[in-house]
Amino acid sequence: MERTLTVVPDDGLHARPAATFVETAGGYDAEVTVEAVDGNRPAVSADSMLGVTGLGVRGGDDVRLVAEGPDAEAALDALEVILSTPEDELDDMELP
Amino acid sequence: MTERRFEGIGATPTVGIGTTTWYRPTDVTDLDEPPAAEDVDAAAERERFDEAQADARAELEAERESTRERVGDDEAAVFDAHLKFLEDPQIESGVQEALDDGLPAPHAVMEAFKGPIEQFEGMDGMMAERADDLRDIRDRLLRLLTGTERTDLGSLSDGSVVLAELLTPSDTAQLDPDSITGIATMEGGRTAHAAIIARSLGIPAVVGVGDELADIDDGEQVVVDGEDGVVIAEPSEETQRRAEESTQTPVVEESVSTADGTEIEVAANLGTPAEAEPAVDRGADGVGLFRTEFLFQDRSSAPDEDEQFNAYHEVCETFIEGVAGDDDPRIVVRTLDVGGDKPIDYLDLDPEENGFLGARGIRLSLEEHTDIFESQLRALLRVAATEAGSGLAVMFPLVSTVEELEAALEQVEKVADALDEEGVDYAIPELGVMVETPASTYLADAFAERVDFLSIGTNDLTQYIQSAQRDLDRMNDYQDPLAPAVVRAIDRTVTAGHAGGAWVGMCGEMAGDPELTELLVGLGLDELSMSAVTIPDVKTAIREVKADDAEELAASVLAAETLAEVRALL
Repeated sequence: MERTLTVVPDDGLHARPAATFVETAGGYDAEVTVEAVDGNRPAVSADSMLGVTGLGVRGGDDVRLVAEGPDAEAALDALEVILSTPEDELDDMELP
Repeated sequence: MTERRFEGIGATPTVGIGTTTWYRPTDVTDLDEPPAAEDVDAAAERERFDEAQADARAELEAERESTRERVGDDEAAVFDAHLKFLEDPQIESGVQEALDDGLPAPHAVMEAFKGPIEQFEGMDGMMAERADDLRDIRDRLLRLLTGTERTDLGSLSDGSVVLAELLTPSDTAQLDPDSITGIATMEGGRTAHAAIIARSLGIPAVVGVGDELADIDDGEQVVVDGEDGVVIAEPSEETQRRAEESTQTPVVEESVSTADGTEIEVAANLGTPAEAEPAVDRGADGVGLFRTEFLFQDRSSAPDEDEQFNAYHEVCETFIEGVAGDDDPRIVVRTLDVGGDKPIDYLDLDPEENGFLGARGIRLSLEEHTDIFESQLRALLRVAATEAGSGLAVMFPLVSTVEELEAALEQVEKVADALDEEGVDYAIPELGVMVETPASTYLADAFAERVDFLSIGTNDLTQYIQSAQRDLDRMNDYQDPLAPAVVRAIDRTVTAGHAGGAWVGMCGEMAGDPELTELLVGLGLDELSMSAVTIPDVKTAIREVKADDAEELAASVLAAETLAEVRALL
């Protein structure tokens, strides 16, 4: 299954949101890839910090998440929360 | 000599001055040629990498925790990112491929990071800074793999300005804001990690100065102006003076309270009326100790009542004019406190008879020099009746028995009666005892029932409690007011004073040490009086104190049995 989302944190997927994103993606029994919708880079694995930050995604950019595996839907739900939460509120989040 | 100015980007809106130390971490990327592939044991090299990776993880976790504690969650987050990069599948597979090709572990790490670093370098802005993160992680692994000693940034001498090509997150995690007065780097921008950490720690920083920074040598005196973004070597006297001024804690004019709302009076110790104005300028709420000895020293006869009246009145006026607030500032005047170590010709004091354990302080006022005591009290009671004198308080030094205190209070009554009879305006000011003898700490409850306040003089109290003469260098080790016996004496004085309905202050040097403010608040002191220069620091420190923490600290300090244990708690 796949989902297309707009990235909310101003600075996009850089240090902290990226670390949280990668950490979360690694916690599910699912293969998740992510790509920038209007980017020219290939999709990368969501559990690679290098891959995710290397996309150079900024706040306001659209990204496409593709997930496969038993936990695919739960993984997408959790990642959606991270991508739609402003960075300064990330600390207080209870991730699903 | 003209100043040498180095323009960069100001990263902290503060200015610092200090002595430069170049931070030159060992270049761990300069590796020897790898041995031939057939001479490399791939399995052993893999193990070597795994070990280094585990060590790097442990270091990063420790640095994340220390940064979280010292700076905050946001700044600690960069270490989460580093942990993720460290274990990135792409890096891991890159290392494995290089090992399979027969490279030893350090070379495999170089190889695995090469591509990703180049990729980020090619990106713009913030993403380019990720290349710095990757280099930092790579170098950490290389340092661990090659067993290179870590260049120490944590133990620089006080007043150091750190110069560096670049400071990585792992470098900045070691920075100690107590000893470092400035940072200047060749590279980096305002959003660089080092800039962010410097801002959080309040260290003046200028980044992105460029290669010219290398013109500054080790051990030069420089000003780091984080506001204007300039590093100034060979600063002129004027530049230095301005830098020094701006490094001082800002003056807090209003009275201050702890974080949870307990107001603590912060007052100045004065030796002459001329010191009153500067004390007001430094934010003193009042005067906690006005020593009157200056009026009596260096002259051939005692000052008369009017001369004294003018001196005491002048200080009251200076404060009432200079200090804002609803209540009149309190001015605590201590009656004459002399002994054999403070000779006054016309008093004919003997070093032995009037030594530290002899007739001095209130003992002299009550026995031999009643005339001086009387004129001093007359002047003080008259000042108390003036408009400026409504906050006046009078304190008796070196009281060690209830009999002495009662005799002194009786003297106040007698003087009041005489002034009344003469038709002279007078008022009875607040009256108090300076607690500085072991006896007075045991009698604090009895004193508190008879007077309005107690003020602890820690310098003499330490000398008497520790039985070690103040002016003997050999006794220095005993002179620490943090000695458990002294701290316990302070505690019992405060408790007994409050039980007897008196407020309790402190006017020894201990009161002016901002590092001890939390402890003193925890011990329950209502007022702290110090030399004016430390008032802004102590006021700032009080605002940060939380009552619960302070009380807990005081309880553990009181439980400590050695000076070392006390020190370890602070």
